[in-house]
Amino acid sequence: MLKILVADDHDIIRRGLKQLLSARTGWEICGEAKTGREALVLTEQFRPDIVILDVSMPDLNGLEAARRIHRMFPKIGILILTLHFSDMLVRDIVDAGARAYIMKSDTDRDLVAAVEALANRRTFFTARAADMLYNEHAQPGTSGSDPQAITRDRLTPREREIVQLLAEGKSSKEVAVALGISVKTAETHRANIMRKLELHSVSEVVRYAVKNQIIEV
Amino acid sequence: MARWEWAMSRVLVVDDHAFIRRGVQSILHAFPEWELCGEADNGADAVRLSEALKPEVIIMDISMPGLNGIEATRAIHKNHPETKVILLTLHDNDELVRSAFRAGARGYLLKIDAEKELVQALREVVREGAYISPKIDPEVISSVLSEMQRD
Repeated sequence: MLKILVADDHDIIRRGLKQLLSARTGWEICGEAKTGREALVLTEQFRPDIVILDVSMPDLNGLEAARRIHRMFPKIGILILTLHFSDMLVRDIVDAGARAYIMKSDTDRDLVAAVEALANRRTFFTARAADMLYNEHAQPGTSGSDPQAITRDRLTPREREIVQLLAEGKSSKEVAVALGISVKTAETHRANIMRKLELHSVSEVVRYAVKNQIIEV
Repeated sequence: MARWEWAMSRVLVVDDHAFIRRGVQSILHAFPEWELCGEADNGADAVRLSEALKPEVIIMDISMPGLNGIEATRAIHKNHPETKVILLTLHDNDELVRSAFRAGARGYLLKIDAEKELVQALREVVREGAYISPKIDPEVISSVLSEMQRD
């Protein structure tokens, strides 16, 4: 049995995915998560073969969830699902440890093909995404020409997580509670993020988070 | 006589995201009074299919390539004012609600709430009522509804 965990904050998307995937013999949906953090908990609990993650989820976004799942369980196949195509994301997705990427506008068949590829330890990217990746590798200078892209790489996963919480309107104290760290540590992280990204206000953090699809508005 | 009580309403689903179409299909599957009669992934096909299939209700996304959901609603409403259109969207936006209803829509529902609210919205619109997501500003809702009743 191929065990699949589905994470998306939209009930209707999870339903659609379930309908499509559970119709295949030998595939079962072992769990459903509504946030990235829930996806981590359920991954530990169910040890699925495949995890399907939406990029934009509250609490912890899909990319950060992918990064952690990949670090804890490198054998799990991770499929990233996005609403819109974004060239910047393709590289992030690969860096996060995901090996398949499809857009919500891709067809039913693409989804099944992506899961099959992961089950066979192969990768799956739609033609557009594959082109983009190829170009990034062929011309390393191009993707690096975006100053946001350069600075973004300097953020640690923890810092990216804090960016999301700040952009969701949480105070340093709330960040500290959410992550189980001290307020002082949260404030240090926050200061480091502002310095690294050369940002001066929370609204700039929000814009940064939106632009880089760490959160969705 | 009893046959009529079992009569099904035919529903067309329009969304460029296959998983949303499957999700809607799966929700409707549990309710025998709704029959999915067709699917489209863009506004222009929605207009064509609404002619060909004459569905009672169309559940339609707003952001789609080519003709968007509001433009498609306007075109469908012009030729078939009896067809009820429910817009199912990601956007919690007052202006979109106004444009949708001015274009002739009868429902406005957020994708995040589809699972909970879709059947309720369908039942409302086939009874000649309207359904607007409770997440929309109540003042906007009441102004949109009174504008609808005036027309």
